[in-house]
Parts: sequence; structure tokens; C-alpha cells
Amino acid sequence: MKITKKLYESDTMTAEERMQAVINLQVPDRVPVAPLIYYFAATYAGITNSELYNAGKYNRAMEKVFYDLGPWDALCFINAYYPEIAACFVPMRVREPGRDLPADSIRQFLEEEVMLEEDYAWIIQTSKKAPDLAYSRLLMRWMPRIWDHVGDGWRAYAYMVPRLVDNFVRWKREFTRWNRLGAAMAFSFLAEAPFDDFSMARGLLNFARDIRKYPREIVEAADALVEGYLSSTKIMAALLGVRRVNLAVHRSSNDFISPDTFKKLSFPSLKRLVEGCVAAGINPILHCDGNWDLNLETLRELPAGNVVVQFDGASDIFKAKEVIGDRICIYGDVPADLLALGSPSEVDEYCHRLIEEVGKGGGFILGTGCELAPNAKPENVKAMFESVVKYGYYGK
Amino acid sequence: MSEKIAALIAEVEEDKTLEEVRKALDEGTDPLSLVEALRDGMSVVGDRYEAREYFLPELILAAEIFKEAIALIEPRLQGDNIATKGSVVIGTAQGDIHDIGKNIVATMLRCNGYDVHDLGVDVPPQAFVAKASQTRAGLVAISGLLTLAFDAMKDTVDALAEAGLRDKLKIIIGGGPVNEKVLEYCGADAYGKDPAEAIRLAGSYMG
Repeated sequence: MKITKKLYESDTMTAEERMQAVINLQVPDRVPVAPLIYYFAATYAGITNSELYNAGKYNRAMEKVFYDLGPWDALCFINAYYPEIAACFVPMRVREPGRDLPADSIRQFLEEEVMLEEDYAWIIQTSKKAPDLAYSRLLMRWMPRIWDHVGDGWRAYAYMVPRLVDNFVRWKREFTRWNRLGAAMAFSFLAEAPFDDFSMARGLLNFARDIRKYPREIVEAADALVEGYLSSTKIMAALLGVRRVNLAVHRSSNDFISPDTFKKLSFPSLKRLVEGCVAAGINPILHCDGNWDLNLETLRELPAGNVVVQFDGASDIFKAKEVIGDRICIYGDVPADLLALGSPSEVDEYCHRLIEEVGKGGGFILGTGCELAPNAKPENVKAMFESVVKYGYYGK
Repeated sequence: MSEKIAALIAEVEEDKTLEEVRKALDEGTDPLSLVEALRDGMSVVGDRYEAREYFLPELILAAEIFKEAIALIEPRLQGDNIATKGSVVIGTAQGDIHDIGKNIVATMLRCNGYDVHDLGVDVPPQAFVAKASQTRAGLVAISGLLTLAFDAMKDTVDALAEAGLRDKLKIIIGGGPVNEKVLEYCGADAYGKDPAEAIRLAGSYMG
């Protein structure tokens, strides 16, 4: 569905046009704002976190945030309608609110072994036979290790496929509703980059050993998954009608690995993946949690004018503008602690600085530093959204 | 022998360090001197981490090697008490189950000579109070990765104050989103942005 509605009177572009302009490093009419919201919506709407799996309740809660505190240009969504689907994006065992944790708690991941040491070889072998299918087959191999109630082999497919289809139908409906309100979707598909997938699925301690013992296997297996990632990315982008995808790199920051390990073990497959997306006319948004300061120079090798890098407040976003701002659109990074503990004037001040400095000459999306904290103060969230209207218009 | 063990753990050589520790024990080397060697090696690891030569994988693996080596040495200690610099209570704040950062800090504190009481994850304020009082702890360290943990950290600080322990010990906090603002909110004494800083803080408070 095409967005026709304008969000503010002074806007001369739709939210979709604005997002695409900044990704292509052009100067839009104003800075777009695209928050990552999930648990905050439950807190704000007064429902429990576990109720967010209910499509009706989730959407009503999100729309309440949009109407009361927004609007926003694009929604950075992370909701899945089944916990099992969420495991396709973060392959880890979890504790879920309402099931393993109190209903108002948030999902927490366990650092346990989902990927076995032998899986590196399995991935390399499997991709030789059917490169396009290697990634989905790997997810189905891991699923029973993540969820005790999901069987292995064909049972995993039998369990997951109907849920995936249903989830897709719901996402599609959700996207259409947002578009009708004038908001774009930040992206259409969530995936973790292969190296980062391995780090999560192996668990930190195992992976710390693997980096020393099996560097070649890590690179080879990550590379072997690229074709499979690209084929599922193309299908998802086409089905959901948004030609931007989220590529999470949760475990490649300097909080997790050295810049050298990033360059040698993580970046080769990431680069091929990004180039493959761009060649297919899809813009990847790299979700860069943690501190990326020492990785920035390496990111310059990514294709210019087609990639977004999203920061969470841990990287020096102002330095990033200097180092990569001429090639890559920068997205972020109002920190969680500022939104939870700060005052509206502090939020306003920080957003103003982001817009002036990082937004200079375009190529910037204002966003929350990773997910909007569930305990963020609503007046702070409102101050963030309002800042793009107060300070964000170019040429005014 | 001791120097070799220190060098091996400093290089994060898991198998070789453990092999060398086993060999030394078989040869009847004084177990306390082995603990010292491991501590020396770990302090090199800490320095290299601070100098950004090492990153998390080296730190996490070195801490694991230290734990494994201590497990080999412990049965041979036969009542030899490792002198400690005092007792530290550590845990992840209530409602938060993240333990990686907390575990690294706990191990680093142990290898720096503190008597560490690790309460695990999702620790209620009263459990911190009970353990701190029972062990006469000089330091309480609270970890948290979630912004939701801020309130639990504050509650823990308040509970320690209510129990009359606030001026008898220091409280430090740490974890991904923790910074000056969170420190001010919780009313703890200091925060550490990484394990090395936690160790430095412990040193400044307890020697």
C-alpha cells in the first residue's frame, strides 16, 4: 500500500519518501523519527507484557502510543505473534514473561548452547547441496533445541510453517494499517547476521573458544549462509512490500569482539550480505548494539548511499557522522537511561544536538537507542517525537 | 613453573594452562603459589583488557580458565587459607537474570583476593541485606542489564540503608546501561563501566 497522508502540515514529503531520501543520503524536507517500540507500549497502555502476543491488544497499545505521543515517520518493529517465531531472529533459549517470568517482566535470553560445535561443518556441507535453503534448514535444526515442545526434522516444519504464515498475514495487515495512518515501516524483515547468529547460538563462552580454535570454520560457515539469507530476505521484502530490511549485528560491537576479529571473522559475510541486498534493490539497516567506535572505518567498505547504521547510545554517534556520514545513513540514538530517568528538556536538548550535528546535510534518522525502555517517561517520549518538528525541517 | 603458568593464562591458553597446573600439582608444588601465579596471569589479562589489546572473548575465557584451575587446586589446599582482602557480596538485581558481566566481575574479584559471595541472578534486596550482614561485607556489587533493574538497584540500596548497613559498606553498580545518571538515581557509591573498573573500585574501597 502506498502512503499518501502527510504527518504534519509543514511536511512536503510522505514518511516513506523521507525515509528513502535519507537512506540515499539526500536532504529530505525534515529529519524522520523512527522509534523501536515494544514493551513500552504495554506499560503505557496498561496491559501486561505477555499480552503483546495478542494481535488486537498489541496493535491497540501501539496505536495508543502513536496517537497520544506521536506521530512517528516509521516504526522499527520487533513484535512476533508467536514466541517461536521470535527465535528465528534471535536463536537463543528464552525466559518469557507470563510463562517463565512474571507477566510484567520482559523477555530475557539465556546464554546456552543451541548451536553445536559440529554445526559449522553441517552448515558448510548443507550449503554445498542447496545454498538457497541452508539458512532456513539451519533455523529448523535449531528450533527443537530452543523450544522443548517443537519436534525435530519434519515436525519442526509442521510446527513452524503454519505459524510463520499466520504471522505474516498479521504483519501484512499491521503494515497496511500503519501506512493508512501515514507511517512507514522502518523495515520488513528481521534477521541476525550469520557471525552474530553463531555467537548467540553457541553462547558467549563457547564462542570465545571458537574464535580462537575455529576462525576458518566461522568465516566459511558464515559465508555459506549468505545465499540462503539473501533468498529469504528477497521473499520477505517482496511479500511485505517494504524494500528495507533489518540486519542485526548484536555481537559484533567492540563490547563483544576486537576490531580485528570484526574485520576478519564477522565483516566478510556481512559485507557480502549487504552487497547482495543492495544489488537486489533492498536497503539494509544494520542494528548496531554496543560500542562500534573501532569498527567504523571498516564500515566504509559498504556500498555508499544504500545502507543505514543504527546505534543504541553506546557508540559515539557524532564521531560516526564524521567517519562514515558521507557513505552511510546514521540512525539513533536517544539513550534508554535518558528516556527513563531524564527530563523532557534534557531529551529535547539531546535530540536538538543530534538533529543539528548528525542530521547536518541529511542522511540521519532520529531514533531510540535500541528499544524504547519500558519504563521511559511518556513526556520524554513525546519530547523526542516533537523535536523533529521543532528543529528538524531543512532550509527553515 | 609459576612464571610459566602466569604467562599461559595471560595468553589465554586454556588447555596448556590446565595441563601445567596438573603437572605442578603432581610434582608437589605448593598449591598457594599456583594460586598466586594464576592471579598474576589474570592481572596481565586485566591490564591488556584495559589497554584494549584484549576484548570480551579473552576476558571471559581467562576467567573460565582461572575457575577451572582453582577447581583443580582447591582439593590440595587442605585448610591452607587463602588470605583475603575482605568480603564482597555480588548479584544481579531483582527482575534481571543476566549473569555474564556479573560472573566476570565475581571471578576477577576472586582472583584479586576478595572473598566473594555470589548470590546469582534475580536477587531480592533482602537477600543482599542478609548476606552482607552475615558476611560483614565491605562491598556490595549489584549488576543489571535491563533499564528495569534501575528500580531494583535503588530498592537494594534503600534496603541496605534501612538495615543500618549503609555506612558500614560501599555499594557499586554495573551493567550495560549503567552510568552517572543511573548512579545518581540509585544512590550507590560508584559505578563501573567494565570489569576492570569494578576491580579498581573494590581496590580503592577495600585495599
